[in-house]
Amino acid sequence: MTPLSFYLALSAIMFVIGCVGAIVRRNAIVVFMCIELMLNAVNLSFVAFSHSVGNLDGQIAVFFVMVVAAAEAAVGLAIILGLFRTTKSVETSAANEMRL
Amino acid sequence: MDLLISFLVCFAVFHVAMVLSAVCTWIERKGSALMQDRIGANRAGAYFDTPFIRTDNLALKPVAFLTNVLVIGPAFSVIRTLGMLGVINTLLCDAVKGLTKEDFVPEGTSRFLHNLGPVLATVPIFLAFAVIPVAPNFTLFGYHVRPQVAHLDVGALFILAMGSMAVYGVAIAGWTGNNKFSLLGGLRAAAQMISYELAMGIVFVTIVVVYGTLDLYQIVERQQSLWGIVTQPLSFIILFIVGMAETKRGPFDLPEAESELVAGYFTEYSGMKFLLFWMGEFAEIGLFSLLLTVFFFGGWHLPFLDLPAGVWWAALIGHVILMTKVMFFCVLQIVIRWTLPRFRYDHLMTLGWKILLPLSLVNLMFYAALKLSGVL
Amino acid sequence: MNLLFIIFAAIVVVSALGVVLLRNPVHSALALVSNLVGVAAIYAMLNAHFLAVVQIIVYAGAIVVLVLFVLMLLNMKVEALKRHEKIFYTTVMLVAVAFCAAILPILHQFFGEFNPAASLTIASGAAASGAAALPRVEGTVEAIGKVLFTRYLFLFEAASILIMAALVGAVMLSHRVSNANGSSVNSGPSTDPSTTVRS
Repeated sequence: MTPLSFYLALSAIMFVIGCVGAIVRRNAIVVFMCIELMLNAVNLSFVAFSHSVGNLDGQIAVFFVMVVAAAEAAVGLAIILGLFRTTKSVETSAANEMRL
Repeated sequence: MDLLISFLVCFAVFHVAMVLSAVCTWIERKGSALMQDRIGANRAGAYFDTPFIRTDNLALKPVAFLTNVLVIGPAFSVIRTLGMLGVINTLLCDAVKGLTKEDFVPEGTSRFLHNLGPVLATVPIFLAFAVIPVAPNFTLFGYHVRPQVAHLDVGALFILAMGSMAVYGVAIAGWTGNNKFSLLGGLRAAAQMISYELAMGIVFVTIVVVYGTLDLYQIVERQQSLWGIVTQPLSFIILFIVGMAETKRGPFDLPEAESELVAGYFTEYSGMKFLLFWMGEFAEIGLFSLLLTVFFFGGWHLPFLDLPAGVWWAALIGHVILMTKVMFFCVLQIVIRWTLPRFRYDHLMTLGWKILLPLSLVNLMFYAALKLSGVL
Repeated sequence: MNLLFIIFAAIVVVSALGVVLLRNPVHSALALVSNLVGVAAIYAMLNAHFLAVVQIIVYAGAIVVLVLFVLMLLNMKVEALKRHEKIFYTTVMLVAVAFCAAILPILHQFFGEFNPAASLTIASGAAASGAAALPRVEGTVEAIGKVLFTRYLFLFEAASILIMAALVGAVMLSHRVSNANGSSVNSGPSTDPSTTVRS
């Protein structure tokens, strides 16, 4: 039986990797994917705690996090597409000035 | 011992999937030929001379004679008949041709992704066979055998999940072709698949509402007295249309439209990778036929036939009944493909989003109301 | 330790590293798919059956497909790193490794023993005497449905409103309005005609 801390350790490692990716990468879509990694890490720790405590509140929280992630994916990618149309690049450094 | 039984069940279900894929391929080739008033493939293996054993040794002459009459003669008659029917051409020669063709990767694209495309398109389809029962449960020599590879309590949702994963193969295949035709075909196919997955999901929810369980074996067991087609005919129609759209066959085959896009997302594939796509497509026809049979046509139950549960020969008869119904739906899908002209792409999207999706929602609300009011 | 957990944890960590480190964004997207499928497998190990399948349907089967669509439509070039970026990369990764090395023993100290009663004591602060008799609920569809539609009904309806808002927002953001000149501009962030990309 794996102890709870192993699942939480996995979640922490995933979160840190996602955080590093969001900071380091310049491609906006890869940054978005690293944000999804971080959300998944949090989901994993929710489910691990739900399993440990024995009721389903953690899993319901994961359900709603997935809903929010799906909504964020749709709107975020639409914004990235709009960014691409105006600046012709998906790099985050292409849109860091206020003037076009 | 349980592990051995599980392994044998896996092997049997995979065998069913492969046999369905192979038989559907043959029916497609020969059946389309017959429907188009031509003969089709009938040369390979049809003109073999029977290699009779001849010997001058007096002691061996009766042995040789008996072997000739009982083994070699009938065997080669069968091979010649199969050759005339086009079976050897489709199953053996095409496979050999696919295996021996040059395996190339287009320039400027990743070799890994090009090889991954057919895998991602085919493996989820075969995985979806894991939750479908192919025969009733039976007990043999004291061992309880359940002919269902994975006894998930979320069986129907797993099929939806595998349908979602199959989109990747198509999109990656279209993208790694590195030309506009492939990309357009791939994106069209992926958009078509995810559009029709919505209606499929809602139809699955309707089926689950009526039967009260997601486990496919329980769904078949609850159709012992009344087939699903009687309780929910509209769900059957929607699932049939969605199945043909998901497999990108029939009138929905614009992504691989041979007359327009060269071959769509297949363009840059040859040899065994192309055959993998083909096998996956025909296995998906078999998968949807199995789903329709399991959800709506009673699986292995016949209305007048009452077989004893748990006996091995009853399971065998049930399997034969199930496969007969599945073959009926496979042939139906192939006949529809060769009969109807294909949809224009905006008509296809209109059908998926503006007609099937609201229809399936209304269907769901109707059956939910029936269930809540206690009628069903 | 469970062999399955080691395998799936290895898949998760390696593919997470793949998302961050791979140069080609399409390879990153496929590594993300592998990561999500690994996490779904871990959910199945933690008795969250419904969530495992929904993770594959929603996350791996819809969200990353959307990302792949966007990647394929924007045909971008894969560039190599410059020198100052490489220094930045390695510094951040060393800090991350140091952070992990610091936090993992703390996690193991607090959550090391797999004891629901002990976890409940930490979580609720109540007496641990009656807490061990809590019935364990499996994450089947039926159980989640019961909780979702009774206790969390308001959140469920609010989530559906959120999804509808996101749907309308995504359509509005990518909507193209053709103006009187006959050329089409998008009604998104930029309305300056000299810098708008015409298509």
